[in-house]
Amino acid sequence: MMVNVERLSYNFGSYWALKDISFTLGKGEFLFLTGHSGAGKTTLLRLLYGALPVNRGRASVAGFQLNNLRKRDIPRLRRKVGVVFQDFKILPERTVFDNVAMALEVRGMPRTHLERRVRAIIRALGLETKSYSLCERLSGGEQQRVAIARSMVANPELILADEPTGNLDVDLTMHLMEIFKQFHTYGTSVIMATHSTEVLECVPGARILHLQDGRIADNNGSDEALGQDRFDENDGESDNDADGEFGEVGL
Amino acid sequence: MIGPFLRLTLRGMADLRLHPFAQLLTWLAVGMVTLLTGLILLGMHNVNLELLKSRGKVEFQIYWKVGADDAQVEKDWQTVRALNHLVNFKTFTPKTALTELATTLGETGDFSWLAENNPLPYSALAGFAVPPEAQQEGWAADLLTRLKSMPGVDKVNYTPFQADLANGWQTLTHMVVWPVLGFLALVVSLVVHNTIKLSLLTRMDEVEILSLVGASPAYIRWPLLIGGLAQGILGAELGIGLLAVTHSVVADALNFPPFLLQLQFLPVSQILILGGAVTLVSILSSWVAIK
Repeated sequence: MMVNVERLSYNFGSYWALKDISFTLGKGEFLFLTGHSGAGKTTLLRLLYGALPVNRGRASVAGFQLNNLRKRDIPRLRRKVGVVFQDFKILPERTVFDNVAMALEVRGMPRTHLERRVRAIIRALGLETKSYSLCERLSGGEQQRVAIARSMVANPELILADEPTGNLDVDLTMHLMEIFKQFHTYGTSVIMATHSTEVLECVPGARILHLQDGRIADNNGSDEALGQDRFDENDGESDNDADGEFGEVGL
Repeated sequence: MIGPFLRLTLRGMADLRLHPFAQLLTWLAVGMVTLLTGLILLGMHNVNLELLKSRGKVEFQIYWKVGADDAQVEKDWQTVRALNHLVNFKTFTPKTALTELATTLGETGDFSWLAENNPLPYSALAGFAVPPEAQQEGWAADLLTRLKSMPGVDKVNYTPFQADLANGWQTLTHMVVWPVLGFLALVVSLVVHNTIKLSLLTRMDEVEILSLVGASPAYIRWPLLIGGLAQGILGAELGIGLLAVTHSVVADALNFPPFLLQLQFLPVSQILILGGAVTLVSILSSWVAIK
């Protein structure tokens, strides 16, 4: 199981952002998180990548128990999880290449290997002509693609995306969703928070977890067979090949 | 392993360019504090040298017993003349002592009536100049004991002023030097701490992103520590360089009568300790800043 959440709650002072959430995500599954602003989508994602502590309930991600997660395990968890943020979180005064390479540099990947992988993902996201442009000179859509490239470049086991297409036009949204789908096909689990129905329609059969006021209002992915089938399909080939080229997944 | 380590080290050095004005001010501040510390050490070093020189100059007044045997006194004089570091030795027989006394007192000093019944003993003035390297602990007392132990000697007087002054100075410097150096170390640590903190604050986004993509704390902190190390080394070099320039300018400032004092530069060991201490304090304050 890639993600296992049991009776998870989280509060900011007297405000309960999440209340008694339970769900699972199998390896290779695609899950959309939907809900209005303040429903708890971002809080849930932050809990899953260790930015917030899990104090009530239980949660595990990529084999890491998030309850009482040791500080030294947080970097290890995050190397297995790619995160795409609503506000990009890229360094504007650095180039596209540097921003994307950052995710591999922290893993100590040799330079030649790193350059090959970074160029491949940049090309896959249509940014090859901007490789050495400073991010501050890019449009919002291009910056979002840089953020997505950084989250995917290390072939994470799980991608957490918080409104990744919120700043993009329809064509670009469709293009990026294709890339997410290809990664998903390759065996990467994805949890994506979104408001967009177009985005939901891009991944037929994906589970949808609808949050309302911090609670799960609807979980159409309770059909465990769907997730299990996908898991079985990917079994034996779902391990991410950290050395693989993106060409293998059509990128 | 070496590759990433080297890359992070180089990045820490390169990051010094990110806030050039703040880094420049810190460099100057660390350099100035190092210079100030160096000047204090330089002053104390030269005072110590002078005191060690003057402390080694001791004069003893030696009195033999009244009626001591001439041969024994002559033998004692030979013993004194054989002592190390003796620079002058003036002897007085009872007769020459009486003459000396009469000369000193002038017209009122006619002691010819005492010539047949002279009450003065054999005496001598023995001057020693013990160099600093030969001034083991208690050397003056040892010399006094040795002079007193000669068979015919009745008593030995000496003025312990110089030795006491030197001892007093040493006690004072031990009491004052550590608090002063500690205060200066605190100034260095605050200056470097604030710069590193500023650097950290202006790079919060980078630190956050690095953390989010899985960078270990060591990966994030190492370049900042290198920044602190660089500030320490460069600041210490600047301070010591300025100290050398200052010394070359003022070295002969007191080299005229009656002082005839040429200021000496700090020994290499003290320079290394000064530079090392400033660098160490810089690293420690950087570490505290990024904790």
